[in-house]
Amino acid sequence: MKPNLALFAALITSAAAFAAAPAVAQQTTLNVVTAGDQNMVDYIKDFLAPRFEKSNPKAVVKAVGTGPGDSGSQKIAEKLQAQKGNAAWDVDVAVIHQKMAGDLVREGLLAPYVRDVSTGRLVTSEASKNALGTNVQGYVIPMFQSQIAIAYNPALVKNPPKNYQELAAWAKANPKKFGYNGIKGGMSGVGFVVGWVYANTPDGDKLMKGPYDANTKANWDGALGKLKEFNRSVVITPGNAGTLDMLNRGEIAMGPVWVDMFYTWMADGKLPPNMRLQLIGPGLPGQPMYYVIPAKAANMEAAKKFVEMATSPAVQAEGIVKKFNWYPGIDAQHVKSQLDDKTWNKLFVDVTPQELASKGKVFPIKPYFDDILESYERKVLN
Amino acid sequence: MQDRGRLGVLLVAPALAAVLVLFVYPLGYSLVTAFQAKGGGFTLGNFSKAFEFYSVDIGFTLVIIGMSTLLIALASIAVGGYLTLGENPRAVALLRWLYRWPLFIPFVVAAQCMRTFLAKNGLMNNTFVGLGILDVDQTIGFLDWRGIIITFVWKQTPFVALLVAGAMASLDRATIEAARNLGAGRLRILFEILVPQVMPTLVVGLILSFVTMMSVLSVPLMISGESPTMMTVDMAFRINNYGDYGTANALGFISYLMTATCAWFYLKRQVR
Repeated sequence: MKPNLALFAALITSAAAFAAAPAVAQQTTLNVVTAGDQNMVDYIKDFLAPRFEKSNPKAVVKAVGTGPGDSGSQKIAEKLQAQKGNAAWDVDVAVIHQKMAGDLVREGLLAPYVRDVSTGRLVTSEASKNALGTNVQGYVIPMFQSQIAIAYNPALVKNPPKNYQELAAWAKANPKKFGYNGIKGGMSGVGFVVGWVYANTPDGDKLMKGPYDANTKANWDGALGKLKEFNRSVVITPGNAGTLDMLNRGEIAMGPVWVDMFYTWMADGKLPPNMRLQLIGPGLPGQPMYYVIPAKAANMEAAKKFVEMATSPAVQAEGIVKKFNWYPGIDAQHVKSQLDDKTWNKLFVDVTPQELASKGKVFPIKPYFDDILESYERKVLN
Repeated sequence: MQDRGRLGVLLVAPALAAVLVLFVYPLGYSLVTAFQAKGGGFTLGNFSKAFEFYSVDIGFTLVIIGMSTLLIALASIAVGGYLTLGENPRAVALLRWLYRWPLFIPFVVAAQCMRTFLAKNGLMNNTFVGLGILDVDQTIGFLDWRGIIITFVWKQTPFVALLVAGAMASLDRATIEAARNLGAGRLRILFEILVPQVMPTLVVGLILSFVTMMSVLSVPLMISGESPTMMTVDMAFRINNYGDYGTANALGFISYLMTATCAWFYLKRQVR
């Protein structure tokens, strides 16, 4: 019996050693970890990786997805926090949501890499400096900017509402024809609720810019009471995709969606081509996703090169705008020159650049954000 | 002799270590953090928050899973009963071949299918409309609590039916024949002869189903919107949106209590 046991132990040890050995010596494996839906992983794996490996033959890009929504970013944050004591971390580049960026910068888990990257000069947007109230300048470059808007079926809605007030009236007159995904099923619903609070309280500016005051939420009872009333005449859909599904099947006529998902689904034939978008006033939030480099990334130099390539005007034009229908992460004028007018305009047919500038809001600073969600749970769901 | 004892310990060690590290440790950890305040220290705040925000959902979870368990019981008795008492050999063979399929389909896939099947203008209603049974205006969607129950019953019935049918098949057929000779109908035989005899198996199957359904996140998340929703969704929401493990673990503790009650019945039956 004993020799067998020894053999068993030997097998386990050798297996462990085998697993730990690098596959090919001298090759750099760049771990790019992204939050978000599968399309984010595909974008890195199928679009960015081949380009990067072509110009850097010794590098292999490994794309890892951590799942959609803030939970995906949360997983990345937890991984970095767990490795805090190690000399080198196994995440080289991460793509995270805006909400998590502030926390990671405050905890000192990110490298201030933007000054070392030539494309850093091409970003001057507010989103590249301020993430829900935290100064993140120097630590992040937006990968893209995304926006929530109201999608509607023009066959069923002749005059789409232009603001929240008109929308509420329309929903009352057309029961169960407006649908959104609440706050537990994805960000398009969360954004709709945030927009509702901006529209129905005088606190909009304070929520977006701070400073935080824990008593502010006491003033929201009226707005949330109206939202509870509103919810009685609408459909709560299962998730971001659930809203688009129900629009597609004609079960609802209107609902908040991510602009990029809307165009991608339309291009894939999962949404009729006659569907339209409307950015209602006073505004709906949008958010960027950020390229960040952890403070102790194992392959820091390669990571910087990777982000530099990913935020270059050519890649932003071809990948972000043309392929995925996102608004560019770096300043638009650098990207526009890389594209023909037709592709560029496609993004701005329903939502004009002026509208985007005036009605494209940011999400509230984090403590207010949490307050809005908790107040919704307390007042609207209970 | 002592050597053999040591060898025995060695042999059981890997399995024991796996149970300790992968099950007992996380369980203990989550139980402890349920009672921990953000800065450390003992608190019941997580529980008061859990009840303040989610008492409706806790009740809803019990009702949904209770109803599902009841329907699973009825459906699996029906399937097992027909397999044992059915007189048309072809129908029995077909049922025997068909009923196990959902066993091999994961919850998340089942939920995805039901999501398009049960929708207002989904496959099911479109088929009814196409057949002229329903009018377009009469259709209703089932993407709410009803959808969750339908998915659970569809997914878990085969599991219980498998156990029940096996138990029924191994019963002494003489009791059935005797009842039949005395003029009992099939339904009467099923409920007065078969079901009482397979009751222990049925209950064990239902308890295991109950515990499985308690832990499913994908089905409520994909089928229904919110309000009210199941506890698993609330736990995920607490963690993903607020990074609040305390309240999530308090909710987890409450669901442990529910499943532990079931486990107690299960163990009681096992020991007897």
